[in-house]
Amino acid sequence: MAPPTGPRAGTARAPPRGPRATGGGGGGIQKRRANPRTDRDGDVSMDAPAGGSGRGGSASGGRGRGSKDARGGRGAVNSRTSSRVVQNLQNYVSGGPVGKTQSNMATLKILGMSNSKATGNRDGGLRSLLTFLERKASKDKAVTIGKSILDGDYVWITVRKDDAPEILRLNGFTYAGAPLTITETTERMPRPEDKISKAAEETKQKLTAVLAARYNPELKLLDLSSLGTDPILSSMGTFDSKDRAEKAFKVLVVIASQQYKTAAEKREGIQAISLASNGLNDVMQVFTLASSLPDIKRLDLSSNNLDSLSKIAKWQHRFQYLEELHLTGNPITTQPDFVAELIKWFPSLQNINGQIVRSPQEVAEALKGMHPTPLPQFPSNLRDGEANVASIFVQVFFPMFDTDRARLAAEFYDDDSWFSIQAIANSGRNLPWKTYLKYSRNVHKLGEKNPATVQRLFTGGNLIADMWKALPSTRHPSMENPGAWLIDCHTFPNLADPTGHGFATGLLITVNGQFEESDTTENLYGKRTFTRTFILGPSKPSNPPPVHPYRVISDQLTLHDWTPAETPAVQAPVANQVPQVPVTNAVPPAGPVILDDATKNQLIQEVMKRTGMTAEYSELCLSGTANWNFELALKSFEEQRANLPPTAFINAV
Amino acid sequence: MATISKDEAIIRSSGEAARAFTDWYYTQLTDGKPIASAYVNSNAKYLAASHPPADICINGQVIATPEEWDALLEQQRLVPFTQQKGKVKYEVEGFDVHVINKDYRFAAPAEIVAATDPKLMQRTEDARLMMVVTVAGSVTFGAGGKEKGTPPKQHFSDVFVLVPNWDYVTRPKFKGHKRYLVASHTYRAY
Repeated sequence: MAPPTGPRAGTARAPPRGPRATGGGGGGIQKRRANPRTDRDGDVSMDAPAGGSGRGGSASGGRGRGSKDARGGRGAVNSRTSSRVVQNLQNYVSGGPVGKTQSNMATLKILGMSNSKATGNRDGGLRSLLTFLERKASKDKAVTIGKSILDGDYVWITVRKDDAPEILRLNGFTYAGAPLTITETTERMPRPEDKISKAAEETKQKLTAVLAARYNPELKLLDLSSLGTDPILSSMGTFDSKDRAEKAFKVLVVIASQQYKTAAEKREGIQAISLASNGLNDVMQVFTLASSLPDIKRLDLSSNNLDSLSKIAKWQHRFQYLEELHLTGNPITTQPDFVAELIKWFPSLQNINGQIVRSPQEVAEALKGMHPTPLPQFPSNLRDGEANVASIFVQVFFPMFDTDRARLAAEFYDDDSWFSIQAIANSGRNLPWKTYLKYSRNVHKLGEKNPATVQRLFTGGNLIADMWKALPSTRHPSMENPGAWLIDCHTFPNLADPTGHGFATGLLITVNGQFEESDTTENLYGKRTFTRTFILGPSKPSNPPPVHPYRVISDQLTLHDWTPAETPAVQAPVANQVPQVPVTNAVPPAGPVILDDATKNQLIQEVMKRTGMTAEYSELCLSGTANWNFELALKSFEEQRANLPPTAFINAV
Repeated sequence: MATISKDEAIIRSSGEAARAFTDWYYTQLTDGKPIASAYVNSNAKYLAASHPPADICINGQVIATPEEWDALLEQQRLVPFTQQKGKVKYEVEGFDVHVINKDYRFAAPAEIVAATDPKLMQRTEDARLMMVVTVAGSVTFGAGGKEKGTPPKQHFSDVFVLVPNWDYVTRPKFKGHKRYLVASHTYRAY
């Protein structure tokens, strides 16, 4: 039987948990609220044309996207804002766990007290009603009422199930001049916080209307100026006039920031805030702006009472994106140094009171200062001794790796050479890693006890050459393009001497760069970034003598996805660094390679081997436009080949 | 295969050494702690044998001592805006290690240098290694979360030549000893 509805039931007809159509209330059970108007009208419509105050009336629901955020935990508000209103709003938006129904208790609803004479009592007559019921019910045994609450026209009570008939027996009794209707119900009893939530809901509806009226979608501006004289806020009892602006501000900022799902949306939706004419004498009063809307670009604080930098200091190093600040009409603007100081505090700040105070370049520089600073990048550092072994080696190695890997392995690798590849396949932004993963000797990922660390280590020139055949073809950039390479190299002592006596000097070469890859079997083309570490040592004595006086002892190829930022690999050294140790042998890659005769002879030998030309022609080829660049020399040879006389070639003689 | 060959023992040993080294080294870096003690420079046995100072080349710049490298790392941690120490986080994504001298004896105790004690030589067979380790990973500038916005991130590549710490070889149970020391260090972050 449906309980009769009193004349005022419309205002608080049912507990919030009830299966009603209208929105509102804590929604612990119902995940989605099926009221379409909520989304359309409930939001402040931050990204829609200005709503105007008239929209406030239809902002029923009031549950925007923000409520979902609050569930996700983002609704956490700075503790400083925990005024009662905010607390209530938090309760409202986050909902609460549904109370467990106690199986041995019955819930009863009593209608009629609101028509009784007892409504004039301070507690609405609740206490005297409960006394009345207990007295009348305790006929055969003492009946005690458990919980009770007055909610609109209804009084809700819980009693032990055994006692419920005793109370229900009183249905139709007259209390203080009014007949009582008592029914048992399975509905959940309203909780005290539900009543607060209802108040909060109403408050929120009004505040939402305030926000809608104060939002300018074109300027992405939330105008919170002159809050003290806002007509809607004035009409609300929640904010007494004394610190209305401050209280209203905190709640408005919370609600406004709840309208957005993500920080990025919020950053886009609210770019400017005006707090003009709020009588502020310290930003502490509106401090939470920095936590709720940290990404705003424009802030208007004009016509307040901020009289010194210390009154803004609480916001120091916040508002990373703040570009424009208005302080006109504050005593602080008479201080001589306030602009210089504010620039230091807000890295993006370019405009104070309409005056340009910093260029975008200066801002970009200042923003870098928000984070620890990467170390400066210096050019390649080649300290490879007098013979320039490393310079020549890399000039020969990479073009040959692109064109003739079998020969490369035969010339520079011996039976004890080690080679392995590790693929740092962390993001897959570029090319797939399929081809490399089966070879990848990433000990970090494999684990040092993994047998693969042995299987994926290729030892000896023959094995290495076979493995290289399986790798996609590559094209390394020209050595003429120094920006494409970072090569560091130095000698070090204490390698085993191949003759078996004493120690030998080794050469460590680390090459960082990129190459183009074409994997014809997988039909994949693209760029890879690599680090390649070589250890060179003296060749073992052999008969016939080794092709080169040195050999590759170790060759580690690391492939990774990282694409360096557009800043060139070689940057100008930054001032005020740790004093640089002079490096006598350092050869900047941009400069010409200065070669001694021995090195020149070595290069001539290389060109002879590769082209079949005589020493004389090989030297001509190198010393011409190639300027002793091995790669260019080969290129010019290819171009001129047809024009060369037969005498240019060794075989023809 | 029930038993592993000598070469496999050496390969595994080098992997374990590289793991121990990188684990320690990058934790120190991320925690903002010094790493100078990892280099041969401060080791008495290497000093006595006149080993040259570790060759340290950072982004193409030669650094004279490990302490200067520590100072450079401190400078890198500084947040210019606040002039306070921020977090610079090093994350290893991979490393590879090759043995480049399987019978390293420089600055070793006399009985190892002269190889007079066959048992000792056998026991230290997989410990007398000179290795090259290539490490790849990422470095994040401002991982502490205090700074707003996206912290800059770089890729780093570190190459170390490691040589045995004879103090460890002779007293492996002593906790304070590192197994290997850095004889050469080449760093690039971009």
